[in-house]
Amino acid sequence: MVESLNLEKSISRELDKDVKLMKSNTLKNIKGSLKTYKEEYKYTPLFKKTANKIQINDSKLDYDIEKIKSSIPKNDDYKIIVIDGLYKEELSKIPSGVLINKYSDLSEDMKGEFQKAYRGFDDSKKDIFSSINTINHLECLTICVEKDVNIKNKISIINFTNSTQSSYFRKSILIKKSSYVSFSEEFLGSTEEISFSNSVSEIFLDENSKLDYFSCQNFRKNFHFNSINVFQRKDSISNFHTYSFSGATIRNNLNILLKDKNCYANMYGFYAIKNKSHIDNHTTVDHMDENSISNEHYKGIVEGGSRGVFNGKIYVRQKAQKTNAFQSNNNILLSDNAKVNTKPQLEIWADDVKCSHGCTVGQLDEDALFYLMSRGIPKKEATSILLSAFSSDITEKIEDDNLRKHYEELILSELEGLNYE
Amino acid sequence: MLEIKNLHASIDDTKILKGLNLKVSTGEVHAIMGPNGSGKSTLASVIAGREDYDVTEGKIDFMNNELSELSPDERAREGIFLAFQYPVEIPGVSTTNFMKTAVNQVRKSKGEKPLDAVEFLKLMKEKMKLVNIKQELLSRSINEGFSGGEKKRNEIFQMAMLNPKLSILDETDSGLDIDALKIVSNGVNTLRSKDNATIVVTHYQRLLNYIVPDFVHVLMDGKIVKSGDKNLALELEEKGYDWIKVKN
Ligand SMILES: Nc1ncnc2c1ncn2[C@@H]1O[C@H](COP(=O)(O)OP(=O)(O)OP(=O)(O)O)[C@@H](O)[C@H]1O
Ligand SMILES: [Mg+2]
Repeated sequence: MVESLNLEKSISRELDKDVKLMKSNTLKNIKGSLKTYKEEYKYTPLFKKTANKIQINDSKLDYDIEKIKSSIPKNDDYKIIVIDGLYKEELSKIPSGVLINKYSDLSEDMKGEFQKAYRGFDDSKKDIFSSINTINHLECLTICVEKDVNIKNKISIINFTNSTQSSYFRKSILIKKSSYVSFSEEFLGSTEEISFSNSVSEIFLDENSKLDYFSCQNFRKNFHFNSINVFQRKDSISNFHTYSFSGATIRNNLNILLKDKNCYANMYGFYAIKNKSHIDNHTTVDHMDENSISNEHYKGIVEGGSRGVFNGKIYVRQKAQKTNAFQSNNNILLSDNAKVNTKPQLEIWADDVKCSHGCTVGQLDEDALFYLMSRGIPKKEATSILLSAFSSDITEKIEDDNLRKHYEELILSELEGLNYE
Repeated sequence: MLEIKNLHASIDDTKILKGLNLKVSTGEVHAIMGPNGSGKSTLASVIAGREDYDVTEGKIDFMNNELSELSPDERAREGIFLAFQYPVEIPGVSTTNFMKTAVNQVRKSKGEKPLDAVEFLKLMKEKMKLVNIKQELLSRSINEGFSGGEKKRNEIFQMAMLNPKLSILDETDSGLDIDALKIVSNGVNTLRSKDNATIVVTHYQRLLNYIVPDFVHVLMDGKIVKSGDKNLALELEEKGYDWIKVKN
């Protein structure tokens, strides 16, 4: 199936020598990533659904820039605007201490710094869609947060998909020593047609740095593949918050490598799946060294005819003594034909570790529903109160009050559209 | 106000109520007593509209309306209140927010405008005093980690907030110490008026010293087998339920 994609074309037009090499190596190895496809995409046959959209469209895209501008929030907040994978400096607003460049525009020194992030640890060896992203992406956006910088206000990253075929987004983020930054990423479609967006981001957290990362996926009928690969050095902290709502099919990979001692990673996720859509979260945490903590909690609500998939892998390497790794996934199914496949996978080589994992799949609590209704609250409101309470374990992890409110409201409005029978 | 005629109800094909009759008029207090498993809580749930029960025969009229077609929330808005024998714990929802939604739903159905934050707080303060319940408890998740007594007090607090026409108190006295019992009874008595009515389900005559009933009924095997005045409760306490069985 890969043969038919004609990926060589994407390689031949690449100008950067090193990137070209990376692309052609990836193409050579693509058979390897195809091999794991069957197992990793067992419940999410994304390839079948998007094969005819995978190729990049050569014809110059024209889009209604005014329409795009109108959907960019008109406030003074920091923002990074990307259209079909290309960075739009004139629409963006960047705080000082943060450098944004196309990879191809970087100095040789800076290229060297990004080498590791950009080409070191994406998951394209194992994941077919990351491989295709590596080969097909037009431009890698590099974001560098300089040393000892503390950016209090969040930076929004807004990605627009215009193509009716596919859009490739590629980012490489470097957070230097003792810095703090918060990103809130969103993907928006500006066409009414079904499209395919494919995004790969590599994030490198240097010693003692901290990252908050919010990802909000709220499509209507898009196919979306998203892979985030994180590499953490000593004493660094990462907090990921992934909120997925409708969309034809969404696949998220979140892979975190805790390379050194004393790293901390939190992964929180919430999904509300309706309109026969499909949301798949695959996560991996790899504890490589001592004394690190990972903590993962995903919760979801699935309506009839829709499906949720959760797969969480935890690796604890032999050297990683005194690791704490926690994982849980809880689901509420709103009807008999709603489906969830949830699977924790632990592989532990060290002996002095604390690990726990658990998953639940259940229905709405009928006793609680009757209790609320017996006080005069109609069934629909009562259900929505219970479901938003269910989500509160996840939203309460958002420290920023405004952002938490934003997500709580988003969830409430999403719950209103759910079908309970 | 309430008229139950020949009520038969079952759950999962088990017959529990087997031809029950009961008439409650405004201003009255009725006590229902009876052995464990006789169907007291079932009766309370059926009146409140729990859908797990099938009403196979008979009917319930409330304020001259047939109840059978009404959902639990509609019944509540008509003025029926059930204080649960086992109040449910609901993590993630505070009693305060819950009550605000409930009170405003009830107001809406009466065509009244919703209470704003200040008005609501005022109402809440007033009713909190009545049952001596602390604000801190009400900002926590509904009943989560509450002691038995706190849960029962929360039920009466909710009753006070909603000001129902018919209150059914299902063993609200069980597990209460004497001080809590006084507080709860005092709350109930304060809310009593000539326009509303109360049904108390209890195992203990003790409660009836505080909430004095006009009628006492004995429910056995899904039917009311004996009715009398408050002296019947004393007699039951003394002689037990076997005494009735023998007499029948
Ligand atoms: N889901 C059910 N399936 C079958 N039987 C049930 C179910 N729920 C209740 N019952 C039965 O119905 C009968 C009446 O129960 P109910 O709770 O109404 O009794 P009660 O009079 O309130 O007792 P108590 O004094 O112990 O509170 C009991 O025998 C009980 O086991
Ligand atoms: Mg009972």
